[in-house]
Amino acid sequence: MTPLDAHTWLADHGDYLFRVARRQLHSDELAEDAVQETLLAALSAQVRYAGDANPRTWLTGILKHKIVDLIRRKLREVEIPRDADGEEAVDSLFKQDGHWAEPLRPWGNPQAEAELGQLRHMLDECADRLKPVMAQVFSLREVAGMETEEICKELNITPTNCWVLLHRARLFMRQCLELNGFAKAGAA
Amino acid sequence: MKWMATCRETSELASRAMDERLPFADRLAMRMHLAICKNCARFNQQLQDMRRLFRTETTADDDTAGLTPEARQRIETEMQKKLDA
Repeated sequence: MTPLDAHTWLADHGDYLFRVARRQLHSDELAEDAVQETLLAALSAQVRYAGDANPRTWLTGILKHKIVDLIRRKLREVEIPRDADGEEAVDSLFKQDGHWAEPLRPWGNPQAEAELGQLRHMLDECADRLKPVMAQVFSLREVAGMETEEICKELNITPTNCWVLLHRARLFMRQCLELNGFAKAGAA
Repeated sequence: MKWMATCRETSELASRAMDERLPFADRLAMRMHLAICKNCARFNQQLQDMRRLFRTETTADDDTAGLTPEARQRIETEMQKKLDA
């Protein structure tokens, strides 16, 4: 492989990698960093690149690791304020006796590509509204697909704490989606 | 856990079941509750829908977004530095 190939990586796949990164990192700046780190790592690793894999697939594989690294780094900078766990907000979702305060409305089953795209946008918006630490745990788990054990270790929190945060994040996410019209129109 | 979990407890179990295999007693309590509670069955389904949606690649993601010329130039420079090193 020649250096020339490396230049075509940026031209051919730069924008694609940027979009993938931005969707998970929710930041243009961090997404640019992810692309840069990916391409630099790819340069170092290109001897190991057999050349038969699709370069985009290969680069995307490297990018996924870089995204997780960046989320981890971002996590370490997040201060966890005392009220960050949203306990009171969860209380409001349930009655005293443990029943749901409001009935849950069913969701449609979106298949069309355009519809899916819209939903993805809504998901990202809702994820942005979670409290920072919750958003990080949630996105490491649901978007990046990390195991909870790894997440606990990274965050230096107990598994119980991790489950509590994920539970609350999921409750808030579904509530946010429902409030934004995610539910099937007219369904009871 | 008592013989029948509340909705709140069931929502906790359903969430945790997305992350790891539950102990038998918890799994049983959850299943029993889900079998008779429409709201919790919906919640459980929606947890799975959310995961599926988050992990689906869609071409409808803002197709026009891309690196700014400045970012592109910066990355190009960094790559060149590395090649020259």
